[in-house]
Amino acid sequence: MRTRAVVTSIFASFAVLVVGWQAGNAASTSVTSSPLASGSTGGNGSTGTVGTGSTGTSGTGTTGATGGTTTTTTGAADGTYTGSSVNTPFGSVQVQVTIASGAITDVGAVHLTDADGRSVQISNHAAPILRTEVLSAQSASVSNVSGATYTTRGYLMSLQSALDQAGF
Amino acid sequence: MRHVFETMGTVASLELPATDGAASLLGRVESIFAESDARFSLYRPDSELSRIAAGQLTLMDASEVMRAAYGEALRWRESTAGAFTPNRPDGVTDLNGIVKANAIEAAGAQLDRDGCTDWSLNVGGDILVRGSQPDRTPWSIGVVDPANRSELLCAIPLTGGKRAVATSGSTERGDHIWLGSSRAPAPFRQVTVVAEDIVTADVLATAIMAGGRSELDAASDRWDIDVLTVGRSNEILVTPRLRAAIER
Repeated sequence: MRTRAVVTSIFASFAVLVVGWQAGNAASTSVTSSPLASGSTGGNGSTGTVGTGSTGTSGTGTTGATGGTTTTTTGAADGTYTGSSVNTPFGSVQVQVTIASGAITDVGAVHLTDADGRSVQISNHAAPILRTEVLSAQSASVSNVSGATYTTRGYLMSLQSALDQAGF
Repeated sequence: MRHVFETMGTVASLELPATDGAASLLGRVESIFAESDARFSLYRPDSELSRIAAGQLTLMDASEVMRAAYGEALRWRESTAGAFTPNRPDGVTDLNGIVKANAIEAAGAQLDRDGCTDWSLNVGGDILVRGSQPDRTPWSIGVVDPANRSELLCAIPLTGGKRAVATSGSTERGDHIWLGSSRAPAPFRQVTVVAEDIVTADVLATAIMAGGRSELDAASDRWDIDVLTVGRSNEILVTPRLRAAIER
């Protein structure tokens, strides 16, 4: 039984690679030679190995087709791609991938809900922002100014000093 | 009404409603800072901490307040994996990174006890607020542009329980930032942290300043904070919630 499973999975992996190669080949030659594309195919191959326990043929067929689709998509163009929402025991997850020059430059969750369906923030990580995006706040009226600690002498030249003298 | 006074080698600015009791409120706040400075300043040779640094007093024999502050600093050292530390490379125990924030916290608690519902306190660029501005809008805090200190980078409205803003930088007073024995330049020019309390904001601004990107990620994962950093080429990183707040 165990031997048969191993043999089946080896066969399945092979089938996936063949189907994936055919799909990739049909799409474009540059895609199959890209490391990113072959990585995707390999990943789906191992998924096929797990899924082929009972119905080898149909399982590998589906996975192989997916591998082909993924390969074509990632090889297409730079841009940001949003995956479909996937349900997990912990809630639903939706992932976004950014591709530049054939390489994945950013992967992030665009939506995540907990088991009760409430949206949660998966990460509070800081991301780059252009100065122009924040500089529009220049004109906003501020009550205080935060900056690296100024000395008593430095205070006189600080924005806080100007604010303190400005009629409070 | 704005009251300005000098303390801890810098200048504090306290905004209070103009009431009859404002003068005595201000007096109580000033004395909290004066007491803290007298105990912890390393610029005063007669302070308790200076005597510890000079070897005239051991921490074991120090006051309870001193030992509590040291213990608190060690807990922060632990939870920031050493990015924040009271132990200077030269062996001196320096509680500068935490005593100013503790004094701001204590002053804020005093204002609360005195029944003051709307105030803002800025000590050398570290800010704690309560309530709202006189026109009922949220307190809005400008962040200095380290590339041009006469300009603001952005304005941060303090809402949703966030009452504290602290900024750490190497611009004017490079104190309490040291990068261990390595001579590598600090990865950030300036780090601003928004938190619910000023001690968390101040300590984590220092920790991120010293620990760089990895400490930024670790701290923003672990604590409920918003962070804005300015890098050595003046590039800006900002956490998602703060980005939404300052774009508005």
